[in-house]
Amino acid sequence: MAKEFWRWKEYNWKNDEIDWKSGSIISAGVDVGSVSSQAVILVDGELFAFSNMRTGSNSPMSAQNAMNWALENTGMTLENIHYTVGTGYGRVNVPFANKTITEIACHARGANKMYGNTIRTLLDMGGQDCKAISCDEKGKVTNFLMNDKCAAGTGRGMEVFADLLSLPIEEIGDLSFEVDEEPEPVSSTCVIFAKSEATGLLRAGWPKNKVLAAYSSAMAHRVVSLLERIEIKEDFAITGGIAKNSGVVKRLEKELGIKALTTTYDTQIAGAFGAALFGKALVEKERK
Amino acid sequence: MISKFREWNSNRHAYAKEWKNKTGGKVLGYFCTYVPEEIIYAADVLPIRILGSHEPQDLTEPHIFGMFCPFCRDCLAQGLKGKYSYLDGVMIAQSCLHIRQAYTSWEKHIPTSFTYYLPMPNNVQSPHALKYLTEEIRDFKKALEKWIGKELSDDDIIRGIQLMDENRLLMHQLYDFKTQENPPISGEETMQIAITQQMVRKEEHNFVLREFLQNIKSNKKNTGTRLMILGSENDDIPFVKMVEECGATVVIDDHCIGTRYFWNSVNYTGGDPIEAIAKRYIERPACPSKDWMDRKRIQHLLKLAKDFDAKGAILIQQKFCDPHELDIPAIRKAFKEADIPTLFLEFDVTVPIGQFKIRVEAFLEMLNEYDLF
Repeated sequence: MAKEFWRWKEYNWKNDEIDWKSGSIISAGVDVGSVSSQAVILVDGELFAFSNMRTGSNSPMSAQNAMNWALENTGMTLENIHYTVGTGYGRVNVPFANKTITEIACHARGANKMYGNTIRTLLDMGGQDCKAISCDEKGKVTNFLMNDKCAAGTGRGMEVFADLLSLPIEEIGDLSFEVDEEPEPVSSTCVIFAKSEATGLLRAGWPKNKVLAAYSSAMAHRVVSLLERIEIKEDFAITGGIAKNSGVVKRLEKELGIKALTTTYDTQIAGAFGAALFGKALVEKERK
Repeated sequence: MISKFREWNSNRHAYAKEWKNKTGGKVLGYFCTYVPEEIIYAADVLPIRILGSHEPQDLTEPHIFGMFCPFCRDCLAQGLKGKYSYLDGVMIAQSCLHIRQAYTSWEKHIPTSFTYYLPMPNNVQSPHALKYLTEEIRDFKKALEKWIGKELSDDDIIRGIQLMDENRLLMHQLYDFKTQENPPISGEETMQIAITQQMVRKEEHNFVLREFLQNIKSNKKNTGTRLMILGSENDDIPFVKMVEECGATVVIDDHCIGTRYFWNSVNYTGGDPIEAIAKRYIERPACPSKDWMDRKRIQHLLKLAKDFDAKGAILIQQKFCDPHELDIPAIRKAFKEADIPTLFLEFDVTVPIGQFKIRVEAFLEMLNEYDLF
């Protein structure tokens, strides 16, 4: 089988310093996205465990798999979780969820915790769409915009490019800076047309890294227009898989003239993290 | 009771055909609500609005530019498909170029015994507009008389006015219920009633609507977040239904299927009835294609939002609908200042319900759920 260059690392994690049995509220969030799925488990609002994996063709199964993997080796079972919120594109297909909340609200809420409450503008660069979100100091959405109609400027597009250029997806961000000079962006960010254009550039003798630079730059340019429509207020942060791609992030920062906040958390878990925080708030509301 | 309106809407063509068979009368299709139906009713002709079907189609490519709005293309497609083969005539009153293109293509490719272009002035704010439209409506009346072979008296015209005004009054009574807390009528039901205003004889519509209003108090209460919808032509009932299923109640609208169609009346009190009709159309809540030099719509929209206590507004734009597109920034700004959040959605012939659903849900979450923070 040919090497799958698009394949990013799927993994699970648990916090050994938390004794979940002494926790008062155990809440979970499951974010079934179009490309990736995450399950996050919180103990009294603190990150206890999570998983991050590829979404399969079956949404309910993806939700279940992500949750099982997050629970792995924790000694916890689904029954121990007081409240689960489903979010993401497949949010209605989380069989064990008590409630669904959109990923727009969840990303804002999660980012508020992950990056701090100074964040006012959030860009979620997801698998198949892009969302610019304005939020307040509590992480509540005050405005949002989504890209329309096509998947340009999204994670899936970057995966297609990793495969086309036979470069591992986790390395292409840095590689895109290994060029003699920054090329013009590819003219189309439609994934299919951009791929055609890139093929042409390769044939014309462009090195891979330069093609990558041209695509990353086009992607950054496209999301800038989305952000400008919503009016960027600092602090600014990026969530989703593309937040890990320095090639897009640095070009985006340069074009905006502002720095994005960074976090030690995995940027892909923001939606599930926010969902789990909503889960906690919902338990508190019930217990009142 | 609402079932009668739903039935009319789903069987709009069957209704018109049946009316024709039953009465031997003529059916006149029209493209824009600036057409003075008072005159058409005076002539005992059935006016029906030509609408799209929200189904993908590939018939209109040779006739209308791809960057003309999906609504005008959808309308023309219905004609080319033969869905309106029972029409005896078609007409339009000037509003925007896109829908006029649908009309002119129709006139060229789908022969009928009567076609009419009524040059409704675009600058309705001009002091000359009333005089101009009055004479244009008089010319239209003459053309109609020639077509039906009968002269229309002032009494005929006044009868047409009274019938239309009665319908408008009943619609206002209906909308009054929508100002209530937890109104006894949903946005979907309202749209069924509003859309059938434009396809059913007004006598029948009035009769059923009057009965509906008598029983309205016992209807289910709608407890969703109060929303306004406004913008381009919108007859997309599944969309409104989806919005309400997400937890909203559409309490007020500004669409040409909806309030813009019936909001003001002729209120004839004597004098030249044609001029009275012209005055009504000059002064009605304007389509943005006619809302200049001053943008007068904004104050009207804000008043509607306030009177009906809308907590948020969905701005709907048919893709490429330039007049409405031009209005969006001004509307957004005014609503923001009035502290009414807005959600902008761009419509096409078919609406991607899934993609819109997440936006609507997120919008409602934004308006609510303060207790989770």
